[in-house]
Amino acid sequence: MSGERLPSAAAATSYQREWFQEVRGAAAAGEPIALLNADAPHEVFRALGIPYVVNQWWASVIAAKRLAPQSLAVLTERGLPDDSQQYDALGLGAQDLPPEQAPWGGLPEPAFAVAERSGDITHRIFELWGQRPGTETFLLSRTAAVPAPERWWDSVAQRPDEVFGAARIDLLAAEIRELVAWLEERTGRTLDLDRLAEIMALGNEQAEWNRRTRDLIAGARPTPIAVTDSMPSVMVPQWHRGTQWAVDAARRLHDEVAERIAAAEGIWPGERRRMMWIGRGLWSDLELYRSFQEDFDAVFVWSMYLAIAADGYARYDDDPIRALAARFVGLTDLLYVPPMSSSWYVKEALSHGVDGVVHLVADDTPGSAFISQALEAQGIPVLEIVANNADSRSTAAARVKERITEFIRTRVAAPA
Amino acid sequence: MTDAPVIGIVGGDVPRQLVLAAGAIPRRLLGSWSGPVSDRAASLLGAVDPVAARILTELLAPAATLPAALVVCNDSSAHLRLFYVLRLLRDEGLPPVHLLDLPRRDSAEARRFAAVQLRALAEFCAEVTGRLPTAAALGTAADAEREVGAAVAALRDRRRTTPPAVTGTTALAALIAAQTLPPADAVARLEAAVEAVDPAAVRVHVTGSGHPDPSVYAAIEQAGSVIVSDDVDTGDLAWFGETAGGDLAAACTHLADRHFTRAVAAPVSLTAERAAGARLRAAAGGAEVAVSIRRVGDDGPAWDLPAARKELADVGIPVVGCAIADAGGLAEVRATIQALRAGTAES
Repeated sequence: MSGERLPSAAAATSYQREWFQEVRGAAAAGEPIALLNADAPHEVFRALGIPYVVNQWWASVIAAKRLAPQSLAVLTERGLPDDSQQYDALGLGAQDLPPEQAPWGGLPEPAFAVAERSGDITHRIFELWGQRPGTETFLLSRTAAVPAPERWWDSVAQRPDEVFGAARIDLLAAEIRELVAWLEERTGRTLDLDRLAEIMALGNEQAEWNRRTRDLIAGARPTPIAVTDSMPSVMVPQWHRGTQWAVDAARRLHDEVAERIAAAEGIWPGERRRMMWIGRGLWSDLELYRSFQEDFDAVFVWSMYLAIAADGYARYDDDPIRALAARFVGLTDLLYVPPMSSSWYVKEALSHGVDGVVHLVADDTPGSAFISQALEAQGIPVLEIVANNADSRSTAAARVKERITEFIRTRVAAPA
Repeated sequence: MTDAPVIGIVGGDVPRQLVLAAGAIPRRLLGSWSGPVSDRAASLLGAVDPVAARILTELLAPAATLPAALVVCNDSSAHLRLFYVLRLLRDEGLPPVHLLDLPRRDSAEARRFAAVQLRALAEFCAEVTGRLPTAAALGTAADAEREVGAAVAALRDRRRTTPPAVTGTTALAALIAAQTLPPADAVARLEAAVEAVDPAAVRVHVTGSGHPDPSVYAAIEQAGSVIVSDDVDTGDLAWFGETAGGDLAAACTHLADRHFTRAVAAPVSLTAERAAGARLRAAAGGAEVAVSIRRVGDDGPAWDLPAARKELADVGIPVVGCAIADAGGLAEVRATIQALRAGTAES
């Protein structure tokens, strides 16, 4: 049994801590930093040399430090809701925690806060960021998933127009150019398109390594790594997408997985039930994922982070800004809008030999019923849990562990 | 009466002239503040504004009278989610459905995108009616829609007189009805919205969640208040009277431009837009008190409330905030409105 931390996961976490302190140092020295939503075009900031912190990553740190309730309480004190889109809002509340409570020393005040206008709430949160002294907000349009083809993974990298529609990509590309001009005006820097093209190429290379890794894991029995390791091993490099470090980290993960498979190493030798976790990670209780091994030989073999990194990010286009627009125009639609989402989860479940699915449904993600239905139609049982992954009050109320236990016991048969 | 096909519209972004010029009647599908949500609608939509769930419930009802086609606006996350569901249910006997996806962030490219979207809307309507809008049809539709716009403006003026010449409940009911009727009938309905109002009633502005029916207005106006203005998209900010000349291409370009310059109260609006709109309209209506109503399941107004308080405080208008599921929970709001008028309460 492999119970120790995967070296690439430990390395990624360590790298992230060091990097964050470098960002704090840069900010203290007067460098502008940015707060970006996960669906904002990070690569522009990398190309301009502007360090950025991703809102959802920061929220995962806050939640992991068990500071979500206090962060949400800060919002309440300001007359804002503490029960609305908590994942996106945690950082805003945490920003005004007492310094001694702030995770990792605290997030420096960003000069720039950038997000897509997705849904009803995210842009409101980023408007509030823009009201903080020294912070300006830039909001990008978020158009709807029309078209929404199945089997998008076959064409999205080379022919994104077929998946998202050329007009939508053109609109976002134009807005990214506006964003670039806005940043250039404020920083005095100039975007080098060749540099951006290089960053996009490195991102594609990273995606290819993630794809190989995902394919290895899908075919391996027993599963060689824990999802609690694949999450940081994949996501920390994702936040550094466009760097050689991130490519090397993705390759390192691949090689570690390949070694474990070659050595027939699994995280649980008695693996009998292969579980899939659909939805955002439960950052405040990562131990949950391994807590069904002993009683049920149930192992979580899949989470969306590696899979979407494998299938959803690569974009090949000679125009790096258009390629970047094609990456972000509908990235989360791939995860949430049926039939794009449902067909993909079915593909992943079948290729990974999944026996049961836990589907964490958040209020702000559409299409959950269609995902669950599509999997059940394939004979794969699904447990839907409605809860907010970043709010421990929500997950406690949802009795997550208790319900998964019951689900496995009653609906997830171990293959003979 | 008309034999023109009805196109059901969810949301507030559709320029009515385009639908009329295609030979159809635009009928806003609004849902309601109360009423059942079917298990199926709840399961398909998940956690959304229950008004959208009631719209789906009505569409899926066995004996539903369905429009010839459906247009859903991307002006709220609930509406977008409803569109995604309706798109997947097209084999279940529902009418064809089309999404009107107008961006909110103004730019030359966004206006081009919006014009293309409006052209696609016209083409979708033409698939139903067999009539792509011509310049002549657009002109005729414009004449009819301008009449409606004039009647809406006159109603808005009647709300603002001292004393008001119509209650908020009656005005909203007329505005909502007008969004479901052919133009001539809409004008008659709007012009009929006149009544005596107690001159001593507290003048109230309503902001926050949209209102699919006047029940909440009626509950607020039960005891000594009159709603003289609002910034909701079925009320003062319903998109009436907008017209464009020329051929279809010119009309779509003009209407796209107007989309970015008109006042909007959509769930996807910015906080700053909502707060500024509330201030402008409350002041124009001579409101003494504002009520910010957040419907449970519609989170935007909760995020907007502090900004709304600040903007309205700048013009001396206190704000009463509340979160309600239906019209039944407003006794405290009514009491607070009276107390604010009497100077015995703070907002």
